[in-house]
Amino acid sequence: MSACAVRISMLSVLLSLAVSPAFASSLIQKQIVGKITDEQGQPLPGVSINIKGSTQGTSSNETGTYSINASPSDILVFKSLGYATVERSVGNESEVNVQLKTDVQSLEQIVVTGYATQRKKDLTGAVSVVDVSEMTQQPVGQVTSQLQGRASGVTILGGGQPGEAPQIRIRGINTFGNNSPLFVVDGVPTTNINDLNPNDIETMQVLKDAGAASIYGSRAANGVITITTKSGKGKIKVNYDAFYGVQTVQQGNVWDILTPQEMADLQWMAKRNTDPDVTPSDDLYGSGERPVLPDYIAPKGLMEGDPGVNPDLYNVNPFYTSPSDADAFYRISRANKEGTDWFHEIFSNAPTTSHNVQVSGSSDAAQYLFSMNYLNQQGTLINTYLKRYSLRSNTNFNVNERIRVGENISFSVMENPTVDARTEGSAIGMALRQQPIIPVRDIMGNYAGSFGGIGNAQNPVAIQERRGNNKGLARRLFGNVFAEVDVIDNLTFRTSFGGELWSGNYRSFAYPTYENAENTGTNSYSENSNHGYNWTWTNTLQYKQVFNEIHDLTLIAGTEGYRNTGGDVGGQTFGYFSFDPDFTNLGTGSGTQTNFSNRYVDALFSYFGRVDYIFKDRYLFGATLRRDGSSRFLKEQFGWFPAVSAGWRLSEESFMSDLDWLNDLKVRVGYGVMGNQLNVDPANAFTTYGSDRQQTFYDIGGTGNTIVEGFKRNRVGNPDAIWEKNINSNIGFDATMFGGKLNITADYYRKDIDDLLYNPALSATAGQATVPFVNVAAMKNSGIDIAASTFFDVTSDLKLDLTGTFTTYNNEIVSVSQSADYFDQEGRRFNGSTIVRNQLGHSVGQFFGYQIEGFWDSQEEIDAAGSGYQNDVAVGRFRYADTDGDGQVTPDDRVFLGNPNPDFSYGLNIGATYKQFDFGIFLYGVVGNDLWNNVKWWHDFYSSFGGAKSKTALYDSWRPDNLNAKAPIQETAGSFSSANVPNSYFVEKGSYLRAKNAQLGYTFSPSLLEGIKVDRLRIYVQAANLFTITNYSGLDPEVSGGTTNFGIDEGTYPSQRQFLFGVNLTF
Amino acid sequence: MKKITYIGMLAGALLVSSITSCTKDFLQEPAQGALGDEVLANRAGVEKLLIGSYGVLDGVVGVGNPWESSPDNWIYGSVAGGDAHKGSDGGDQPAIDPIAKFIADGSNGFFNSRWRTLYDGVTTANSVLALLARTEGIPETDQKNLAGQARFLRGHYYFELKKLFNMVPWIDENTTDFNQPNDQDIWPMIEADFQFAYDNLPPAQSDVGRANKWAAGAYLAKTYMYQQKFNEAKAIYDVVIPQGQTSNGLKYGLTERFKDNFDAATENNKESVFAVQMVSGDGTNTIANANNGWMLNYPYGNSPFRCCGFYQPTQELVNSYRTTTAGLPVIDGYNQQPVKNDMGVSSAADFVPDAGRLDPRLDWTVGRRGLPYHDWGYHPGASWIRLQSYGGPYAPKKNIYWQSTQDQHSDQSSWAPGNAINVLIIRFADVLLMAAEAEAQVGSLAKAQEYVNLVRARAASEESWLHDYEDPSDPLAGFSDDPAANYVISVYPAGHFSGLGKEAALRAIYFERKLELAMEGHRFFDLVRWGIAEETLNAYFQYESTITTDIRGGRFVSGKNEYYPIPNFQIDLSVIDGTPMLQQNPNYN
Repeated sequence: MSACAVRISMLSVLLSLAVSPAFASSLIQKQIVGKITDEQGQPLPGVSINIKGSTQGTSSNETGTYSINASPSDILVFKSLGYATVERSVGNESEVNVQLKTDVQSLEQIVVTGYATQRKKDLTGAVSVVDVSEMTQQPVGQVTSQLQGRASGVTILGGGQPGEAPQIRIRGINTFGNNSPLFVVDGVPTTNINDLNPNDIETMQVLKDAGAASIYGSRAANGVITITTKSGKGKIKVNYDAFYGVQTVQQGNVWDILTPQEMADLQWMAKRNTDPDVTPSDDLYGSGERPVLPDYIAPKGLMEGDPGVNPDLYNVNPFYTSPSDADAFYRISRANKEGTDWFHEIFSNAPTTSHNVQVSGSSDAAQYLFSMNYLNQQGTLINTYLKRYSLRSNTNFNVNERIRVGENISFSVMENPTVDARTEGSAIGMALRQQPIIPVRDIMGNYAGSFGGIGNAQNPVAIQERRGNNKGLARRLFGNVFAEVDVIDNLTFRTSFGGELWSGNYRSFAYPTYENAENTGTNSYSENSNHGYNWTWTNTLQYKQVFNEIHDLTLIAGTEGYRNTGGDVGGQTFGYFSFDPDFTNLGTGSGTQTNFSNRYVDALFSYFGRVDYIFKDRYLFGATLRRDGSSRFLKEQFGWFPAVSAGWRLSEESFMSDLDWLNDLKVRVGYGVMGNQLNVDPANAFTTYGSDRQQTFYDIGGTGNTIVEGFKRNRVGNPDAIWEKNINSNIGFDATMFGGKLNITADYYRKDIDDLLYNPALSATAGQATVPFVNVAAMKNSGIDIAASTFFDVTSDLKLDLTGTFTTYNNEIVSVSQSADYFDQEGRRFNGSTIVRNQLGHSVGQFFGYQIEGFWDSQEEIDAAGSGYQNDVAVGRFRYADTDGDGQVTPDDRVFLGNPNPDFSYGLNIGATYKQFDFGIFLYGVVGNDLWNNVKWWHDFYSSFGGAKSKTALYDSWRPDNLNAKAPIQETAGSFSSANVPNSYFVEKGSYLRAKNAQLGYTFSPSLLEGIKVDRLRIYVQAANLFTITNYSGLDPEVSGGTTNFGIDEGTYPSQRQFLFGVNLTF
Repeated sequence: MKKITYIGMLAGALLVSSITSCTKDFLQEPAQGALGDEVLANRAGVEKLLIGSYGVLDGVVGVGNPWESSPDNWIYGSVAGGDAHKGSDGGDQPAIDPIAKFIADGSNGFFNSRWRTLYDGVTTANSVLALLARTEGIPETDQKNLAGQARFLRGHYYFELKKLFNMVPWIDENTTDFNQPNDQDIWPMIEADFQFAYDNLPPAQSDVGRANKWAAGAYLAKTYMYQQKFNEAKAIYDVVIPQGQTSNGLKYGLTERFKDNFDAATENNKESVFAVQMVSGDGTNTIANANNGWMLNYPYGNSPFRCCGFYQPTQELVNSYRTTTAGLPVIDGYNQQPVKNDMGVSSAADFVPDAGRLDPRLDWTVGRRGLPYHDWGYHPGASWIRLQSYGGPYAPKKNIYWQSTQDQHSDQSSWAPGNAINVLIIRFADVLLMAAEAEAQVGSLAKAQEYVNLVRARAASEESWLHDYEDPSDPLAGFSDDPAANYVISVYPAGHFSGLGKEAALRAIYFERKLELAMEGHRFFDLVRWGIAEETLNAYFQYESTITTDIRGGRFVSGKNEYYPIPNFQIDLSVIDGTPMLQQNPNYN
């Protein structure tokens, strides 16, 4: 044994003597006993109990009980890591039971950072520590959705669809590609935590700056979220948590759609506006001064009693198998003169259920936890849901004093059929377009629809009902096995081998349609599956030592290897004789069979090290260095990612010691570089040739039915791509005031992304191969994150606590490519101009188009402007701003019309307890963002297809007697000066405040439960999305999207109000 | 204790070092599912690349929507030329409206799609030539044939670029910097490509889809015609017309029946000089190779075609088919004898079609109410039309497949139909009418009339007429001997052109071209080539705006609208140090 080790052993013997009761004083003392429990009523072992002002103390045992000798005037101090310290005076009591509350603000709390744990007070990087128990109250499936508003510096944009993973942005937007953070779950990096059971989470922290995150070098640029899952503590116990709830759909005419008669009136108005001299006529509404609603929409325009509506004529076979069969169909559908409310035909109240069982415990030799969860969140939209079954087993064995081995494994199975919300082809997009005169079903109960040209939308009920037999199952095994060896004292070697293994299979049947204006005559069955695995093998050596009680040094060095491989395979067959789901598979169709497969592989290898040094608990210094190699690069595979950070605990200095109200104040600074290569395709380095049946094959023989293989360059390689660098500076402080009652953490950051890997369009003259990622772009972000919390007792029974977060980011594109300084996205139905322009000097995702100045109210106004001023000018249409002042409206006059990035977002959690009751409400808000309401394109312009229209179009459009209108004149044709180009009509303010969650709970007193062997029983009622305050006119102001194109609403899947009842039971 | 310590440290050290040593291999991952060019550097590989270049002909290269770069230019040639309305309704594909009205600017995404697709064609042809140049061991005849086809294709792609955009950058197989200026006239290079192909390609090919010597000759002559090099063009026509044959060895001629040019069952016939080969049911379960660019252009409503009601012929075009008692076209004043239409008449109401004299080609070009629409039944008028007041009362016809052969020649695997009807880039009637122009310009008017009369004679042959159904209740039962309308058509009487003189004879040739090639994507480019776009199109706008609402406000501006704008995005992509390499066409902002 080394001399050093001997000294340390002796030191620990001395220490253990020091705390032994033999040295304690024992004057006029009595024995005090008691039990210490956590918030869930679980016994807490290992809590230190000290008599204030003395060295006397003990700790709680495995059952959470303790005994100590104390005098009535003594004050007992109960302390445990991660819990708020509690003080109780002894008085006449002989039994003092204490419940400790978890305290994320506790400075002693252990925080999981990169490959290490640190006390919160020792942090030098910017780390948001999430209050997991508050967060997981939100009754949604995804941890990532629950995180919204809970951590400063994190912006989350989601939606109401079950299982839809939201967009997460840590400190702004770092790339034009995938902006998702890296998740590190029990030390294993992953990009996906959609199947993680929220009940399994013990801690969650967001590593935001380079000082904290850059140890994850290559994958840290988008930020890192570290998660640890629960392990067993103390005696064996069983937790059962369950809730049942109902999501309730918003009521009323949510899209402000006209009635069928009003729809007809609008058509007459538009036709008169376009051709004043022609008497309007329509095969649905007849001809004349006033439109008349028909009794039947199929055959179009017929009235009751017409021989054409004789049911004997009816001929529709909904399961027709030859496209030409439909030519002979005879459809009969009544008109729904009241109007069909398509929103409520596809959206209805839906239940959510969750059951979670957790068994855990520990002994000297092992800790173990087993959990299983069943979540069934039905979507409010027909045939959308998330069903998830997850299992977890976490164990940890202490083989001997120096060796520990263990595993954390979870297995999940998910069924999650979804729709592509926010796009015009989805059932939601169709529901907002389908005309109200169309009923859901025809006279024989088959689907009714737009057949014959009553608009061209599809029956949204049919779309969703036909998906009823489409099934999919995703499975994932995730976790790691690890071993830790204390090689010598203070030196620990740890090896962890972990990763994920996943597969999924999906099948769907496409029915022929017959009810729509534009039908599909074929039927087909598709099946596909994906599969893959990745592994991460991490080896670290950690040396931790305190020298002379003032030098606290931690050194870590390690290596990490990562390999990811996977692929997908699938096929499609046409022509099924029967649509019976028990019959259809890829082999049973008679038509063409197609198949496909893809695979990918990529790898990373890394070395890293970190140093944390603390002098006198006052001056803190941290440095990390990582060297990463990636298979996605060819010539220069490796890059360096350094970071340094420092902290100064001012409150430890003598000049601050007078400030009684200030308990702790630390300022932090950090600087470093993080990397990113996530968006680079594994084949990026190579110029390749390939074939594509749709593009490169050709019928050179003129057969009319056979194509011959051809090749084409399909990828331009860039062997010179190197690491993207995210250069990050941070300054911030942590303050604890008023005896721990107020905690504030605030940070200012600046991130410069250089050598940003982007694949800007090449000049067309280079051909159409896949464009490589090159280190051409640049971006910068800056912002402020603030988190604050406070708690106070209003009375001895009524206790309040408040937690708030505040997040800003300011994103600016610094470079896009060497030539064009922008790229455009989102053409939608406009004339080839796009909604989104990502341009140098602006934020990612900004809206772009013509600025409306008003209407052309008269011919005189038009004449005054000059004939060349604006294309397609007419009275009642939009007048656009000539922003460059050249006297003409040209593409150069387009301007930035709005920014979907918010000025700031905030979360506020208010908690209160009163005796056995607890209450909590969580508010989340976003301020200063703009949204593009593309639903208006369909609803407010008669010319935008013959779909359902809004009250605005009929009642608040420009007319000579309504100059102060909202929408322009209604006409039969679109134009440059109305809805054919992106313009400011569609931009709205997107700010909102939403009560995401409110909960009222009652915990039965332990005395009542003792008889039934129950440790704890709590019941609660909860309301999610109780209210939303916003001026946005669409269904839901929370509109997600892609990284560079978001906030565009073309039929969102709204978040709905939800009411739940739940129970927490422990025995 | 000590022992464990050392074992642990040793194990750790070994682990770290063992990983380190294999890091290099660990990070080597080749591209999956693709080939490097070394694999293709042989006869078979060059051949595959050549097929890949033919594959671009159909306009489907993953850029924009397929109709934005349809190989027949139905938007840029026919809609913009006044043959057809965009069709459908006012909010549908609004990018086409400003093109039809000549108010489109370079931000219109359609131009970018067409530009990108055509340059993809150029690139694929260049990659054949580049690989061919460094591949050894290919016999000389094969080399010439491969190079000739590649240069023919490149010539075609550049010809399209030239007629659409005029000033375009030249990229060939030796270009390494793809950012080239558009400051030179590329006609000489296009000529050189077709000349090379004409000199080196064999007269017949193993596959009918390949370009041969005579196709190259016809295209070379067309290139001359676009430059008003009539002597050069005539010289080629004098060889191509008597000697030319198709790649499958058929001597050039006009098919007996006009309609056979527009039917997949009778394609690759003697009239097919060069065509884009289309297929149906090709095993992709898509219509990517099945005239994807036409997918919108079928009757709508309760028609059996499902989608989408675009490409509706104009009243002005229909009126053009009016004939005199002598069976000759009414070149002046045809709009004064308009053909009766069914605007505002519901399908349930009675309607009697026009009884006046007509050229039978009308009814293979335009679907109109009350006449047989192939074997699909009588066109019912309004119920197949999306919005008459916007797009007019007519339906296209040359792109429509037949009911009786729909299983072979249509493809229903997408939301709109596909079909196997070839897109005719050059057909022999086109060659004859261009040759007639060349003769009228620099040769003999008699010869010009002879060429025109060949075309008219075929149209006048009763085999080429549309006939009524044998049994109106069963359109599939075939056609009777009764003409479907009052067809009165004859060839020009001997000496007619000489009597007219050169200018009037040219107008007759131009008009014949309109009648014969309507809806085939030529009209706008012809008008520009003839220098009569402004007068013709502005008269068209004036007349047609009284029929429909879609093109109101349309106006062709001379000195600007002869060519489409260079796509703004391409100009922006050509910027070097703040200066764009590409210059916008005159008078576009």
